[in-house]
Amino acid sequence: MNGVLNLSSSPHTRDKWTTPYIMRMVLLSLMPATIVGIVVNGWNAFGIVALAVVSAVASEWVFNKICHKPDTIWDGSAAITGLLLALSLGPNTPLYLPVLGSVFAIVVCKGCFGGLGKNFINPALAARCFLLISFANAMAIKPAVDAVASATPVGALKAFEQVDITSMFLGTADGVIGGSILALLAGGLLLWSLDIIHGQICFSVLIGFTLLIGLFGGKGFEPGFLLAHLCGGGVVMGAFFMATDYVTSPVSRLGQFIYGCLIGVLGGIFRLWGNTADSFSYAIIIGNVCTPLIDTYIVQKPLAYRKIGKTRTVKKEPFRIPKPVIALTLIAAIAGVALSGVFFMTKDTIEKQEMAKETAAYSAVCPDADRFTTSEAADKAAEAAANDMPRVNKAYIALDKDGNTVGYALNVTAKGFGGNVTMAIGLTKDGKITGLAFTELSETAGLGMKADEPEFKSQFTGKGGKLSLVKGAASGEQEISAITGASVTSNAVVGGVNAGLNFYETVLKGGN
Amino acid sequence: MRNTFRGGVHPAEHKELSRDAKLRLYDPKGEMVFPLQQHIGKPAKPIVQKGDEVLVGQKIAEADGFVSAHIFSSCSGKVKAIEKRRVLTGGMAECIVIDNDGQFTAAADYSTRDSAGDLSGNEIIQRVQDAGIVGLGGAGFPTHVKLKPKVPEAIEYVIANGAECEPYLTCNDQLMRTHAPAIVEGLELVLRLFPNAAGIICIEDNKPEAIHAMQIAASGKQRITVRTMITKYPQGGERSLIQAVTGIDFPISSLPADVGCIVQNVGTLYAIQRAVLYREPLFSQCFTLTGEAVKEPSNFFVRVGTSYAELLEACGGIKEGKTAVKALAGGPMMGVAMGTLDVPIQKQNNGLTLLAEDPVEKAEKMMTACLHCGRCTTVCPVGLMPQLMADAAIAGDLTRYEKKLYGLECIQCGSCTVACPAKRPLMQTFKQAKAEIQEKKKREGGGQK
Repeated sequence: MNGVLNLSSSPHTRDKWTTPYIMRMVLLSLMPATIVGIVVNGWNAFGIVALAVVSAVASEWVFNKICHKPDTIWDGSAAITGLLLALSLGPNTPLYLPVLGSVFAIVVCKGCFGGLGKNFINPALAARCFLLISFANAMAIKPAVDAVASATPVGALKAFEQVDITSMFLGTADGVIGGSILALLAGGLLLWSLDIIHGQICFSVLIGFTLLIGLFGGKGFEPGFLLAHLCGGGVVMGAFFMATDYVTSPVSRLGQFIYGCLIGVLGGIFRLWGNTADSFSYAIIIGNVCTPLIDTYIVQKPLAYRKIGKTRTVKKEPFRIPKPVIALTLIAAIAGVALSGVFFMTKDTIEKQEMAKETAAYSAVCPDADRFTTSEAADKAAEAAANDMPRVNKAYIALDKDGNTVGYALNVTAKGFGGNVTMAIGLTKDGKITGLAFTELSETAGLGMKADEPEFKSQFTGKGGKLSLVKGAASGEQEISAITGASVTSNAVVGGVNAGLNFYETVLKGGN
Repeated sequence: MRNTFRGGVHPAEHKELSRDAKLRLYDPKGEMVFPLQQHIGKPAKPIVQKGDEVLVGQKIAEADGFVSAHIFSSCSGKVKAIEKRRVLTGGMAECIVIDNDGQFTAAADYSTRDSAGDLSGNEIIQRVQDAGIVGLGGAGFPTHVKLKPKVPEAIEYVIANGAECEPYLTCNDQLMRTHAPAIVEGLELVLRLFPNAAGIICIEDNKPEAIHAMQIAASGKQRITVRTMITKYPQGGERSLIQAVTGIDFPISSLPADVGCIVQNVGTLYAIQRAVLYREPLFSQCFTLTGEAVKEPSNFFVRVGTSYAELLEACGGIKEGKTAVKALAGGPMMGVAMGTLDVPIQKQNNGLTLLAEDPVEKAEKMMTACLHCGRCTTVCPVGLMPQLMADAAIAGDLTRYEKKLYGLECIQCGSCTVACPAKRPLMQTFKQAKAEIQEKKKREGGGQK
């Protein structure tokens, strides 16, 4: 034996988990959301992410240098702060804001309180709130494509408007860079399956929020409504990445549950009755501030003191589904449920919207009509000819205020160049065309699409009987001048109109 | 069915180094040193004098009181001195030094089997006490004390601890593989003392050969079952094992017997069998010498009093190209770091691990601030909150530490320290806090117990 033997107190071994390992895993799990955000929102989003991360790391380095503290940038926590901040900003935020926010997060919220592990609120969130309050105008989220300010999905939701959940789910809706719920969920569940974040926190946040919105949101537990609320306003990012921040969340399981519920409920209250769409950040900050209080009073007792005088059942470990499997199943199930939910929810809306479009078209082609009604004979005739082309899909009788028949509205489909051409044709009581409007037209732009221009459409007004198509200028009473270079479309329209006129002659005429 | 307790960690096992090395008897040369305190309780009193001739198995020191144990010579030779020598803990302690003549002449014949059929419970305990048996799992608590609970009828379980959850160590594994019938016999002898108890042999699932051997040895024995445990530290800790078997948690102020359990290490059971059936006193035990820095990691039946350094030579010494940076008496979880190997092996010692790399040294460089990640709380087998305890201890708030956080319940298993990603020395903080509280109590209590 030679050399000096090290002396230290037991234990003499350590786990492979290190602080940088945890931070690397968190960064990795944020990657899907970051990549989706950059792909969807373009270079400006990339600039925001890069600037936020670089300035967070740089300010940590500078702060440590100035304060003569050991270099801590390699533990990765500063990079996470920067990335989280960037992901919670809108894609068109001016580029000085992420820099300012990162410096504020690292220097004021973290460094000044003693660095890693000592901050009392989540630095990224604090920086976001700081920017929201100080730069309200610049922080307003603008769509990436045209720079006209419009309501974010959450803004729309607050006004009970319909929102497009699919795009929120995938991250293509107008919102923050890290807005892709699917990507965030994938990352969050990865962290949960690796035991890095505590399920008690993230799931109690989501449950608390859902319950509150369901109970007081005004629409009950309607899945689409709840899903829309859950997908918007940083709830998922907050639940999985912000509220679960170790430093600012309680340690005991019960404490974590209370903390999670507090955030969820507060988030819901702010969402429903607050006047900002970004309320979730504030809910988490309040949760952060309550953490020391929870940690002081909610302390778990040793096992021996939990159930005095009672023996617990022997803990057997039969078969346990590994967490990664649960996580993957959850992701798949959530995606599946969300997508089918979106389909079912939007089905009605889409039908309604089409109805509205049609109704608008009928009103446009029958200017005298007040309302429309159907007739049994017309329905039967239309049904009988359902496979014809061109065909009449539906015929309505236009009534005036007093219920007198003033004309007819027909829905006609003909075969065009790029697909079906569906139009609404308005007729007077004696079979003269009052107007023509397209409800489905997907012809060649600049050629066939000219059918929708007044120059072509207006030719039909006042005509009746059977129409014919001519090239060049129309001369006769029954002639329609074709669109140059789009004879197929012109033919389809005239054919459709003729089918409508014929339907009038055979079915409607005589006041049925 | 696999049983386990709450929490715990699974440090790298490193058992492959020595797990297949057969137990071999090593006969040392040169002088042998027998510290008078090789157990918990009062030190034994020497009954030999300088110049006396002693034989293998001869009593050389007698127990002083009930909570104490006799000490026997493991060699034949002449008593050289009774003096202060350096011992395992690093300090100096009174020791009997015997000049080994290398003959190993036995004081009695330990190979003839004695019938134990008509032995009463008290006689069995007497034989155990006469053999100076202490707990061979590491603590060294006199076994005859443990076998005499207030109400023997209230004991429901006698647990044979074959978990060997300590990384690196494999001697219990080997002992179970090769001496399974003897261990089962030892357990049966203990079960005779407790009419209402079931014997449960607990082995972790990383020792399939041992489980198999023990199952064969225990087959047909109605009162004995073998249970497979999930490999996890501190499974071999009394409290964790009782929790795993019975589901009972009990505060640190209670003893296992208070909840109807007696836990005996398989090595101790083997020693009981030898003592009761062969009248062989405890002068040797199974022992693992292993580690990355050792040339031939081995399992031994080692004689008490052998020097660690000599046993290392029997393993071929240090491996070429390696340096031993740390020597641990025991394994890395509970072991004591040794400053020198020139100290004697005591009864309760069961291993020497020589590390070529010191994980603690590495960890100290990677230490960061506490992240409050809560891993320590997750792994604590007692259900404590080590992170809050450390906060309170560092802030000097010992009242909160003791009353609100139950800091004195800590069994000092070190799971929290192993699991901590920030590499904070949690257990060391707790040891200090505990010592401070006890000192404060002593001062305030005016010397009261």
